[in-house]
Amino acid sequence: MLDIPTIVRPHGWSKMQNSSLLVLIPAYNEELSVAEVIQGVHEALPDTPIVVVDDGSLDGTAQQARQAGAEVIQLPHHLGLGGAVQTGYKFAFEHGFQRVVRVDGDGQHNAADIPALLAKMDEGDYDVVTGSRYLKKNGYSWHPIRRLGGLIFTAVLYPILDQRITDPTSGFVAINRRALEVCSRSFPLEYPEIETLVVLKRNALRFCEVPARMFPRRRGQSSIGNWGAVYYMLRVLLGVFVNVIKYERRFHTGGSN
Amino acid sequence: MQRIRIATVVFCVLLLIQIVRAVRREHIRVEISMGWFAATALLLALSLSDRALNLVSGLLGVRDPSFVLLLVAGVLFLSTFFRFSVEVSTLKEQNIVLAQKLGLIEWEVKRQAAEIERVVRDHLMEISPEGRDTEEGDAEEKQQTSAGNEL
Repeated sequence: MLDIPTIVRPHGWSKMQNSSLLVLIPAYNEELSVAEVIQGVHEALPDTPIVVVDDGSLDGTAQQARQAGAEVIQLPHHLGLGGAVQTGYKFAFEHGFQRVVRVDGDGQHNAADIPALLAKMDEGDYDVVTGSRYLKKNGYSWHPIRRLGGLIFTAVLYPILDQRITDPTSGFVAINRRALEVCSRSFPLEYPEIETLVVLKRNALRFCEVPARMFPRRRGQSSIGNWGAVYYMLRVLLGVFVNVIKYERRFHTGGSN
Repeated sequence: MQRIRIATVVFCVLLLIQIVRAVRREHIRVEISMGWFAATALLLALSLSDRALNLVSGLLGVRDPSFVLLLVAGVLFLSTFFRFSVEVSTLKEQNIVLAQKLGLIEWEVKRQAAEIERVVRDHLMEISPEGRDTEEGDAEEKQQTSAGNEL
């Protein structure tokens, strides 16, 4: 009889056990860019485990990610960005990670900026640090409509958050375990970035921004078109409004989240 | 007035038949059909009974009873749709949680399977020369098979 150990750990377990940091890449139909993104993270943080959450892609995203050396969680069907990101947060929380950095799979984020996010988190005991493309000029000119949308959200969020957020739609974000617990429990399904700020505020978590360079999409198309942008604005504003009502209700009734 | 009542009765009867057929074929669940049965029965009762229709018209202060029929039908169907929106939202939420759990469990199972395979192979190599032979034999066989497939 063979003496097989009773406790069996996953293949990438030792690497994951040795790291308190996880890089999370949500991806949907990003077979053309995901490998480059993983490569960039490997270069910036060589020993950090990377998990790609494949949000029901119809192309070879999962295969490309595996070949590039990432662990891949495949969702059975498309949930939307929030559903994919939350899956990664749940994974990280269940496996005991202390910090998670989210990098988009379309290549817009610069992995070389990840250490700056983590340094800021340590420096100010922040729960969430976001990379902002507007804190410093980065040489890339964003579409005026997109910039206008960002300014509207900044203005709407200012009285709610009691602080100025220059890039509320940024998905380049580092979170610690306190925020991980909140986000693995409650996370918006569609366009999650802005609503998440309100959720974090509701839970008395501290967040700030650091300058980050961002690039245009390397390949593929954005999921938000012209009409999509209008829907996006209305949907996010409604989501923020609903979250504020929840917060006010909790504040006045003294209930917990 | 008479025409709209006849039209409503015909519509309600057709709807009732359709609901019964859908329940019988299990296209909708019995508990879901209850709302439809109740709404259709109420509308049918108002269409067939002058007394009931006049009573509701009087209560609502509406002069034309046929308007009451439309109003009641509208309210009933809007209420039903709202109820379905709530149920669809609940189902969507549950579906997300299930899909996420499935993705996470699938990852765990695949990794566990890979680890078991690796551990078993290592032990076979360590303790059994036959195992090593078998492994080598298997590897050769796999190589030949893949070569055959490529050809």
